[in-house]
Amino acid sequence: MSDWLAQVIDRADAVASAQNDELSSARLSALSELKQQKWPTRRTEAWRYTSLHPLEDMTLPALSNDTPAVPDIDGLEPIDFVFVNGKLQGNMPALPAGLSIGGLTDSTMQAAATEVFGTVKPRTHLFGLVNDVLATDGLVIDVAAGASIARPLRIVNVVTAGAETHHRVLVRIGDGASVSVIEHGAGSGASVNTAFAEYALGAKAHLEHYRFALHSGDAIHIGGAHFSLGTEARLNSTLVGYGSQLSRLDYDVIHAGQHAHAKLNAVYLLGPREHFDLHTNIEHAVANGTTEENARGIIGDRARAVFNGRIHIHRDAQKTLAELNNRNLLLSRGGNISTKPELEIYADDVQCAHGATVAEIDDKALYYMLSRGIKREQALVMLNFGFIQELVQQMPSKALAQWLEPQLRARFVEMDTRNGS
Amino acid sequence: MMLTIKDLHARVEDKVILKGLNLEVKPGEVHAIMGPNGAGKSTLGYVMSGRDGYELVSGSIEMNGDDLMELEIEERAQKGLFLAFQYPVEIPGVSNMEFMKESVNAMRKARGEEALTAAEFLKMAKEACKQVNLPLDFLKRGVNEGFSGGEKKRNEIMQLILLKPALAILDESDSGLDIDALKVVADGVNSQRDGKRSFIVVTHYQRLLDFIEPDYVHILSDGVIVKSGGPELAKEVESTGYAWLGKPVESEEAGA
Repeated sequence: MSDWLAQVIDRADAVASAQNDELSSARLSALSELKQQKWPTRRTEAWRYTSLHPLEDMTLPALSNDTPAVPDIDGLEPIDFVFVNGKLQGNMPALPAGLSIGGLTDSTMQAAATEVFGTVKPRTHLFGLVNDVLATDGLVIDVAAGASIARPLRIVNVVTAGAETHHRVLVRIGDGASVSVIEHGAGSGASVNTAFAEYALGAKAHLEHYRFALHSGDAIHIGGAHFSLGTEARLNSTLVGYGSQLSRLDYDVIHAGQHAHAKLNAVYLLGPREHFDLHTNIEHAVANGTTEENARGIIGDRARAVFNGRIHIHRDAQKTLAELNNRNLLLSRGGNISTKPELEIYADDVQCAHGATVAEIDDKALYYMLSRGIKREQALVMLNFGFIQELVQQMPSKALAQWLEPQLRARFVEMDTRNGS
Repeated sequence: MMLTIKDLHARVEDKVILKGLNLEVKPGEVHAIMGPNGAGKSTLGYVMSGRDGYELVSGSIEMNGDDLMELEIEERAQKGLFLAFQYPVEIPGVSNMEFMKESVNAMRKARGEEALTAAEFLKMAKEACKQVNLPLDFLKRGVNEGFSGGEKKRNEIMQLILLKPALAILDESDSGLDIDALKVVADGVNSQRDGKRSFIVVTHYQRLLDFIEPDYVHILSDGVIVKSGGPELAKEVESTGYAWLGKPVESEEAGA
């Protein structure tokens, strides 16, 4: 057991005795599970390419009290929930009919909270368990059956230097309901943040989901998004992740009901020396589900990206249709990508495809652009954006895609200039 | 003088391809460079534009008084050099429109002019697109992505029209074209002849020169220009082919 985990368990005992709510028993159960867990090393398969040394060695500086601005998005009027270092800023906004939202320990939200907490997210994620026992901040969102929420919900989670936060989002989407949720995380100062979200989609429910994990620099970010899909539920999820000294995300999609559809797009963009690790796991537990997963990464100099995409088709999951594709672009020979698509198929009547590629910047394309007077930096930004733009354009919200585009271009400049320095 | 090439020796990897090429092009002139496969026709354009792996061994290339070899690839373009590629490159994910807009604005910026707005550029691009007889949706598609050979060549000419270079090198812009496409390419080039811009038309066949009438024709063989003349030289090649460039001619002219 590491010192870090030992202090988590100490604090968890304190949290458990201080909090007396409906989640207490679930927390206690997570705590006993956590006490059984081994601290991951390079020999732990799920952590083979990601070292936890930055977390073990982290000494948090004094807490910074600067509050970064929350970005405005043209053409989008989200219902905003802004958390700074775990604390919700301002009052709960007014909510449309069919939508109930409260804090994690809010007594009015206990029914939804207990139904979702720890029931979607598998217990195999060590830091998910850490989040279980330490997260007292976050949101519970309950969308009533049949409700169609027009305005997207945006949950902004800003972590400043010196902070350690554990943030949790629990979302229950009733039968036939539809909602759009944007999880926006940011922070670049030395900090530790775990952020896990669980989504339980009822029959014919529809979730449009975005996660912008824009943590960079010295921020340590470990989190996940976990979805359980009821019969004929539809999930359309887009992840945009930057690298930092340690960024790790776990996604799980569980096809619990038949004829559900999951579309998962992920883009990760790593500046020099940054680390980003994405593990996705799709469980086709029942028949007739479809999954379409595309992950693309661009990796800067001496940066390291890890992608592990598992699709598990259970014995009864006949007629499953699942596709997984991962493409990577290395900006320099010093960059590193470990990619592993994993298909485990136990049903015989399924269609399943996967692929992974790693490429470098196309010299011929670069020369062609230079020969048209375009500067090298600009040409590289265009080629980088070209590599991922298909996924950006597939985002259902055009307003979000338009807002994202200049952010990504700025990110590419940052990735390249630091590359050259 | 628009272009002065003196005693150019250039190599691709370990192989010397150009072996003492001399050429002078005045503003407004059209020069055709003809020759058999392997003579070094494409190498000339690549060396001038600065492609990696195409290395100057000795000699000099001056354009409008600038030593080209001292300039970066993009600077050469900004100074007015344009190479219409024999094999234009596909760039999936980058739209033709964005590519050409960035290109036009890079040139404008280098000249100290204001960048065009998206609307201003769109108007220009639509006109150029029509001029080379490409459907307008080609502006939205990825650069050359899935274009046929002829469409790629016309896309090069569209760029030529938009960029208005001082000196354009057309590297086998006729290869693989049917007669209609050939006319579109030739008309596009001819529309840019204004008495100031210069053109070097590199071609294997005389056919293109029926439509783009050159002032001078040069025959390139084994890295040197072995014969120069007027348009009638192209006709001569058409009837006799390149067989007369046998070994004896080559050794006789080598180092000339």
